[in-house]
Amino acid sequence: MITPRIEKIRQNYVNAKPQISCERAAIWTESYQTTEGQPACIRAAKAFYDCCDRLGVHIFEGELVVGAVGEFRKCGILTPEFSWMWVDREMDSFATRPQDPYVMTEEQRQFVREKIFPYWKGKSLEEAFLARLPAETRRIGVDTGIIDSDSKWRQAVGEITPDYQDVLFPKGFAGILQEAEAHIAALDDACPEDEDKRDFYQSVILACRGIIRLAERYADEAGRLAVAEPDADRAAELRAIAENCRHVPARPPETFWQAVQFVWFTQLGGILSENPLALNPGRFDQYMDPYYEADLAAGRVTPDFAQELVEALWLKYSEWVWTISANTADYFAGYNQFQNLTVGGKTRDGQDAANAVSYMALRATEEVRTHQPGLSVRIHADCPKEFMAAVTRLVSRGTGFPAIHSDSVGYQMLLNLGYSPEDARDWSNCGCVVPHSRKTGEWTSAANLNFGAAMEYALNEGRSLMTGEQMGLPEQPAAGFAGYDQVEAAFFRQFDNLCRHTVISLVTAQRVHREMVPRPFLSACNEHCLEVGKDLSRGGAKYNVGPVITGIGLAVAANSLAAVKKLVFEDRACSMATLVDALRANWQGYEPLRRLAADAPKYGNDDDYVDAIARKVANHFYHEVHRYRDIFGNPFTSAFMGISNYIPMGRVLGATPDGRKNGEPSSEGVSPYVGTDRSTPLAAMCSAAKLNQEMHAGGTLLNLRLNPELVATKRGQANLGAMIQTLFALGGFHVQFNCISSDVLREAQRRPEEHRDLLVRVAGYSTQFVNLSRSMQDAIIARTEHSGF
Amino acid sequence: MGGYIMQLQNYSVNDGDGIRTVIFLAGCPLRCAWCANPEGQTLQNPMTRWAETEEILAEVRRQEIFYRASGGGVTFSGGEATAQPEFLAELAGALYDEGISLAIETCGQFDFDRLAPVLARMDRIFMDLKLLDPVRHRQYTGADNGLILQNLARTARLGVPMTVRIPAILGVNGSDEQMAAAFAFVRDRCPGATLELLPYHRYGEGKYRRLGLTPPGGEFAAPAPAQLDHWRQMARDAGVEVVSFR
Repeated sequence: MITPRIEKIRQNYVNAKPQISCERAAIWTESYQTTEGQPACIRAAKAFYDCCDRLGVHIFEGELVVGAVGEFRKCGILTPEFSWMWVDREMDSFATRPQDPYVMTEEQRQFVREKIFPYWKGKSLEEAFLARLPAETRRIGVDTGIIDSDSKWRQAVGEITPDYQDVLFPKGFAGILQEAEAHIAALDDACPEDEDKRDFYQSVILACRGIIRLAERYADEAGRLAVAEPDADRAAELRAIAENCRHVPARPPETFWQAVQFVWFTQLGGILSENPLALNPGRFDQYMDPYYEADLAAGRVTPDFAQELVEALWLKYSEWVWTISANTADYFAGYNQFQNLTVGGKTRDGQDAANAVSYMALRATEEVRTHQPGLSVRIHADCPKEFMAAVTRLVSRGTGFPAIHSDSVGYQMLLNLGYSPEDARDWSNCGCVVPHSRKTGEWTSAANLNFGAAMEYALNEGRSLMTGEQMGLPEQPAAGFAGYDQVEAAFFRQFDNLCRHTVISLVTAQRVHREMVPRPFLSACNEHCLEVGKDLSRGGAKYNVGPVITGIGLAVAANSLAAVKKLVFEDRACSMATLVDALRANWQGYEPLRRLAADAPKYGNDDDYVDAIARKVANHFYHEVHRYRDIFGNPFTSAFMGISNYIPMGRVLGATPDGRKNGEPSSEGVSPYVGTDRSTPLAAMCSAAKLNQEMHAGGTLLNLRLNPELVATKRGQANLGAMIQTLFALGGFHVQFNCISSDVLREAQRRPEEHRDLLVRVAGYSTQFVNLSRSMQDAIIARTEHSGF
Repeated sequence: MGGYIMQLQNYSVNDGDGIRTVIFLAGCPLRCAWCANPEGQTLQNPMTRWAETEEILAEVRRQEIFYRASGGGVTFSGGEATAQPEFLAELAGALYDEGISLAIETCGQFDFDRLAPVLARMDRIFMDLKLLDPVRHRQYTGADNGLILQNLARTARLGVPMTVRIPAILGVNGSDEQMAAAFAFVRDRCPGATLELLPYHRYGEGKYRRLGLTPPGGEFAAPAPAQLDHWRQMARDAGVEVVSFR
């Protein structure tokens, strides 16, 4: 049961509008004005220290875990060193933009325009990136929806997992600081390489001092509030908070509560240092359980209080807001910070890893229903029945959580990247569905690549259908294609060209990151960076994995190629010229042809005709991006992830041969195109599993919808567990389930063509909702509501 | 060889354990007035088709991996699963040899001696008990229930796990007296069998229209959930184990 305190915080989280705080940006800017000419890492570290020293200290009502990014409880910050231009351009409409609006006052806007932005003019990462990007790549790859990497040059990288196991908890930041000092003492003044290391260790020392200073200021504030607090219970809590903040994160935690507070201070440090995407808590159950068990044995904590602490942390993860541009928000919609927290799976030495904290994490998400952390589970073949039952129970609650991953496929993906077996066994998720680890430096969502665009340029002489602009390579008129093979070859030519520009864009971004935005605080949380004296941005991690390029629209590309093959070259239902005319006309006047296109084989139905094309495209993608090397010499990595990128990437895409119309959404991850998997979820799983998923080490995503009734009973949940194990036996990496409400069923009645894949249980079996008669649909809606959640 | 089917339904979860494929075999000796699958009453109609045994086996093999983790398999249903006895025997024999878990759902109107070898290969048998009163049974299903009651008792002695299914329909068998008599029959004549109540539904109405037939009238209704719970409790009190495959 959720406690009244947590419920109150939760209500505020649900109802409050996020507000922008300018404090961090102001301090950062003032600090940079005093450090001109110093090494980039020292400047970043000094700005971080100044921030920790001067940022307002805010302990909000009822908090058990403290530390705020700004003066508001639901709050986002600005990082002008990365980009101020989009903020300047967009902040007047922050409050009114459709996706992820923020509150920012007129005074604040005036303040940043006068006091902050002028300093950064010509100095921001975005400006450096755009200045260096070749014109051709810029034309195809900046705010086009064709290639999108803007989260890597308008934002920090993020995409990192602090190492609680080997660095933070055993050493504390005071211990890390001492190590850095010891390293400096061993350096040679006469050695030029050592000078870079000296700068790095100095930056680490400043970062450690900063976070310790911030915690001390919170200890002081908690102490002050405790004295003034009339309620004796709350006063005692505040004294305990003060004690926690005196102790962590400087020193190793001694209690579960301190460990939770340590985790949040680390998260806060990461947020203040760069406003990161995907700053992942990692394997929370593995590093937290020892503290829980020890406290329990010593009588220092009750299970209920520990649960409350975890839920308090969940709310902290959710209250800070990732401030992003409207364009980025299109790709990462929903105020989502992508702080991925992983539980379950196997331990480094291959045993089942589920423990008491794994279950607490699942329960916390069920109870507080926050969008953060992104809760992931790892499932292995002999995963305990109770754990699977807890997972499927959470699925049945309709939150969409947890994201469910195959333990062995994640392991295999990391082995393919060259990890040691034990490090691979220790994987956790990054962001959305990327197998990752605390020992890794990797841009896990570096760029999105629009597969549908390659199809469009192949059929339209290299031009955009909707704008007519030449965006791809010149190509012969489609009427000249004499066989399917020629169409496919043209598709791959355009595809390869897009890959090439994606790589150019990312290498440019990597170079400016290395020069301009070192990451001292987060490097201090990484074992290998500390060992070798090298910042994350310079490749200091043990595993440096090539940037992940995410393919968007695999289903659209495969379905389109299949439709061309079948309609034009097999059934001879139309000529190539007629098909292209139909696409140019957005299918207007070609309705019978469009129906044939819509009836052509569709990926997601376990139909080898089209699934084989999807596999060929996916394999080609892997080999093509793998040909290129990043600035550290690593091959680029392929992925099929989701997020919300299929919406903007569909918006710029004209009609496609699969029957899709101008601007309609593309497809996500390895999921079928919405509404086209007309068989069963089992068939969709079989299709997805044909894709050789282990090769795409940037992660693969499969989203499926389920009627809540299917999983309403324990028996239904057990069958869902078996279904998940089967997907993983087939080679699938990830699956996430949407359990649908009767509102959606009613919407499906209004727009059946968009809900073809919606499955409902009828009488002893399941079938497509839209294929049922109206009266039967009504009966099922009534029933769903009756037994709904 | 082959036979007439209505359809193969993958991802079925209510007719036996785990994730199953239900093979709906066409043809039925009964004409229940409330029937939800009118397309199953005859072998050939616009909603049935001929299927080769090999075709069905190939489809089942594609699904087999989903049976493994879930403990599922294949369920023969209908129509009436036993209406094409040779086809059923061939399918059941082939799937049995492949080690696939089998279940059958039958109305009980069959030649026991002929069916017994097939039934013995099942991992679960669902058999209907609609009405104990022979007059009412003939009135609502078009057939006498003598053979059905006999077969219920004989099948229970095969040693295969058995679940007796009672379609609970107001207007047919929806009184405490009728239910009590049915529960006593299950207890006395089908020792070891469990019981499942299946509430009446009208999901078959569209099929009647597709076949140009008139759907059942308003004389049938589904019992309220509380009413069903009451009967389940009565069955337990009578000493019958009540189960649910929901």
